Amino acid sequence: MRIEDLKAGQEIRYSGKLIVMRDQAQRRLKEIVDRGEEPPVDLRGQIVFYAGPAKTPSGKPVGAIGPTTSARMDDYLEMLFKLGAIATIGKGKRSKKAIEACKKWKRVYFVTPSGTAAALSKRVKKSRVLAFEDLGPEAIYEIEVEDFPLIVAIDSNGNTIFKE
Amino acid sequence: MINKHVISEKIKKAIVEANIKINPEVEEIIERYEGPFSDIIKENYRVSKEEKLPLCQDTGIVEFFVFIGHEVKLEEPIEETLNRAVGEVYSEYPFRYSVVSDPLFERINTGTNTPAIVHIFQVKGKSLEIRFLVKGGGSENLTVLRMMTPTSDVEKVKEFVIEHIKEHGAKACPPLHVGIGIGGTADKALLLSKLALTKSFKERNKDPKYAGLEKELEKELNFLGIGFQGLGKGITVYSVHIEHFPTHIATLPVAVSVDCYLCRRGKVTFED
Repeated sequence: MRIEDLKAGQEIRYSGKLIVMRDQAQRRLKEIVDRGEEPPVDLRGQIVFYAGPAKTPSGKPVGAIGPTTSARMDDYLEMLFKLGAIATIGKGKRSKKAIEACKKWKRVYFVTPSGTAAALSKRVKKSRVLAFEDLGPEAIYEIEVEDFPLIVAIDSNGNTIFKE
Repeated sequence: MINKHVISEKIKKAIVEANIKINPEVEEIIERYEGPFSDIIKENYRVSKEEKLPLCQDTGIVEFFVFIGHEVKLEEPIEETLNRAVGEVYSEYPFRYSVVSDPLFERINTGTNTPAIVHIFQVKGKSLEIRFLVKGGGSENLTVLRMMTPTSDVEKVKEFVIEHIKEHGAKACPPLHVGIGIGGTADKALLLSKLALTKSFKERNKDPKYAGLEKELEKELNFLGIGFQGLGKGITVYSVHIEHFPTHIATLPVAVSVDCYLCRRGKVTFED
């Protein structure tokens, strides 16, 4: 399925890779990009999941994991799209600026249920740290998910499920 | 004298339960919800219970409200006991450390989820009551204070609360528990709004005027239709609680705090 075909409100189940990062990692990423240096992760064709997992219990691929508030990171969205990300996943309504960015770059924003970290962790098969390990729960991770529940909250035409 | 280990053990158990077991008042309401993601929301508390995983990855900053009798003797300052309990729980369980040391410059994780936030109130008698909230960052970011003009009426206060929830409610994992503090000084109003969140959904303000306002706000906030997860289906708020306090003739502080849909809280009591 192509990103451009997704419509606001559509429910899908996603299986594949996600790049997990949030506030501080994006801030650091921006500093690197602004200095003209090579980013430590390749975001081309990737989906960015705004999350910060809890500790991994022994013998499990990942600890409790779930979305954090996306709107806090609206200022970094344009950068993610420029670096090649095709979608973001988080929770909650986003700014007009974020909607405009989705429209301009033909990208989408998904929501996944918040406060359901135990259930979502069951859908994560693998996890590894990619960069910024010193940030702890705010490091950049790559996870592999199966049947991950998503709803298209902003589609590539800028349509949104949230009320104004 | 109340033994520090006795306090610590009971508090630890209560914090673990708040993070892992669904609040029964919340469960009752979620069971009736049938909108988007309802299957996962219900599956979540079954998984967390079976696997001892936290309900939410944001296992919060723990905020304590300590009501200590004036005749109670302790072995050490209560804040020390509580911080040790939090540190132990968060190290022993697969909970996230979400506390950073310096808020502005070096946001370095303390690696213990401490310090916790501790508010102490002295009361009469020989008992020690400790209430707490496991406060996630998403819901905490919705806390707001407005110093209204002293001539503002009930409608103005309602308008402020409704506008705030309408604009930001979806970000904090609704349905929300809404706590409102009215009166006192700025800081007192904020504290009262947090204390309001420690109440059971079924409690009502003892003053019928405030109880009436709680009910009206509940009704009007639910009319916003934000719904579970902000997706428009189901209720928007569980309950609204108001705590009020006398204030200065020139002021009318109004504070709003919210708790996310999990409402992770607890209460533990001891007798000396």
